[in-house]
Amino acid sequence: MRIAAFDDDRIGVIGSDETVVDVTDLLQQYDPLDAADLMPDLISHFDALKPELEQRAAAGGGKALDSVKLQSPLKRPTKIICLQGNYREGTDRPKQALDFFFKSQEGIVGHGDTCVLPPHQATIFHHEAEIAVVVGKESKDLSDDQVQDSIFGYTCYNDVSARGLGRTNISSFLGKSFDTFAGIGPWIVTKDEIEDVYNLQITASVNGELRQNYNTADMEHQIDTLMTHISSVVTLNPGDLICCGTNHQGLGSMQDGDAMTTAITGIGEFTLHVKDEHDRTWQRGIDEEMAARQRAFGEAAAAAARAEAEAAQKNGNA
Amino acid sequence: MKLVLTSDDRIGVLKDDGFVDVSAVFADIRYRTAKDRMPRVLGVFLERRAQVDEAAASGQVEAIPALQAPVPRPPKLIAAFGNYREGQSIERLPQDFFLESPDSVLAPNGTVVLPNHPATIFHHEAELALVIGKRCKDLPADASALDVLAGYTCGMDVSARGLGRSAPSRQGKSFDTFTPLGPAIVTTDEIADPNNLRVTLNVNGESRQDYSTSDMEYSVPEVLAYVTGFMTLVPGDVIICGTNHQGLGAMQDGDTSSMTIEGIGTLEVVVSDPQKRVWDRGVDEATAARHRAQRSA
Repeated sequence: MRIAAFDDDRIGVIGSDETVVDVTDLLQQYDPLDAADLMPDLISHFDALKPELEQRAAAGGGKALDSVKLQSPLKRPTKIICLQGNYREGTDRPKQALDFFFKSQEGIVGHGDTCVLPPHQATIFHHEAEIAVVVGKESKDLSDDQVQDSIFGYTCYNDVSARGLGRTNISSFLGKSFDTFAGIGPWIVTKDEIEDVYNLQITASVNGELRQNYNTADMEHQIDTLMTHISSVVTLNPGDLICCGTNHQGLGSMQDGDAMTTAITGIGEFTLHVKDEHDRTWQRGIDEEMAARQRAFGEAAAAAARAEAEAAQKNGNA
Repeated sequence: MKLVLTSDDRIGVLKDDGFVDVSAVFADIRYRTAKDRMPRVLGVFLERRAQVDEAAASGQVEAIPALQAPVPRPPKLIAAFGNYREGQSIERLPQDFFLESPDSVLAPNGTVVLPNHPATIFHHEAELALVIGKRCKDLPADASALDVLAGYTCGMDVSARGLGRSAPSRQGKSFDTFTPLGPAIVTTDEIADPNNLRVTLNVNGESRQDYSTSDMEYSVPEVLAYVTGFMTLVPGDVIICGTNHQGLGAMQDGDTSSMTIEGIGTLEVVVSDPQKRVWDRGVDEATAARHRAQRSA
């Protein structure tokens, strides 16, 4: 099932006829305090709501998709958790330690919204297309066999990133927490619709030009590991997002006037517009220097691991 | 005024001789759980200040009840890196911040539970905490920025070292129970200068941290201006202003950690470690020396 937020804070399911069928009325029984509660309520009560939601989706007859304004499906998750790195990027390097950071929820924007570049002296503003897990229930210290039950679904995520701000010797990632820097959309797809989450193609294109193009098969720490590890640190709440990190091969600049589309097979696609009052320009196309740096890092780590393995073998033979 | 949230979900004011319930002033604020209530209450607190004053003056004084953190789950919990000169006179390092899990907040007299992760040590970090009372963005770096504050409180930024990819470990500060906050939100009219407050922390009565907020690299208004240059702040958001690393030490099973900020209050917690790990007692001199060296280079 595909579940969207649209127009004036409405919640809808995407019908079999590809229309948006309004289901907001079903959520009033949970007495929402404001619009931000609607989707987490739907997620929390999904088992009870599912028959009715399925029936309405099957019946269709809603608004045409191109006649509605999609919003970010989540307005104010308690946490946006982002993985650092997390793709091998074509190298066979050993896994790095799993690491993550939190992103400001004020950054949330949805399909058709505008990402506004701040006046800060960033070296560049990058797009980062990612798959995000939508948490289905309050979770702490998940075991491997509890993980699936805690996942509600998936969505597409653009982790917009300003580089070169703050201190240089630490990884604060504050340059990812500007307002309008967290693109989410076009909707949430429930997990049952995704046959193999490790065989999805993720693309980022800017003004129709393909930039990122990678497969989730290359993910370093897989989603089960992310869920068990992260829930051993923090309590997860329904609607929290775990963004699985990006593959840096294919990053490029976002600049004034750009239309930046994030797409994942089986989930959907959404587009952000870019506004820069300062009209800064960067080289168009893929940031090859960034891509090469990441590959060189991976190849060096892989070579070091091979050398270590050979040395261990020699010692074993001696 | 010292605004508190009790364990049985009442909002009140601490006075010299006890506690007064002022929940009635916020009776119209709908909420679902205590965790979501305080951001909504703080969203109207500044404009209802006169009513709260009146309720506090006329209400029945009772013994101070058990307290929750004054913001049990802030919408955002924002933490400064470093931000103290630590006795060194070099030029200021650039400002920098990161976000912590809002679910890491712990109540006064709560229990910090050390997780079964292979940290090299768990440090206490006593910090001045700012509680936001108004939605704001792009604040100026002068005293007028303080107008957005509901007030100040004590924050303990418990920090597991050596986890994840890079130091300092960000995830090591986000474990559940790793951000004790409280006991009260002290309004700005009670604090003449937030950059002239003594901050102390002791463990089992033994002194560890003892520094002044006058040593802050970037003052409270500069912190507010920098953070709001990035993101919108909303009522209930909490910014912890960084620590002075001179005097950090281990937190371990059975410890009582108590921090005090002059004019703001005392925040005390106990520590539980199911793994019963043991570290050297006293100040972590190696960490202190490393931070001095970093700032004298």
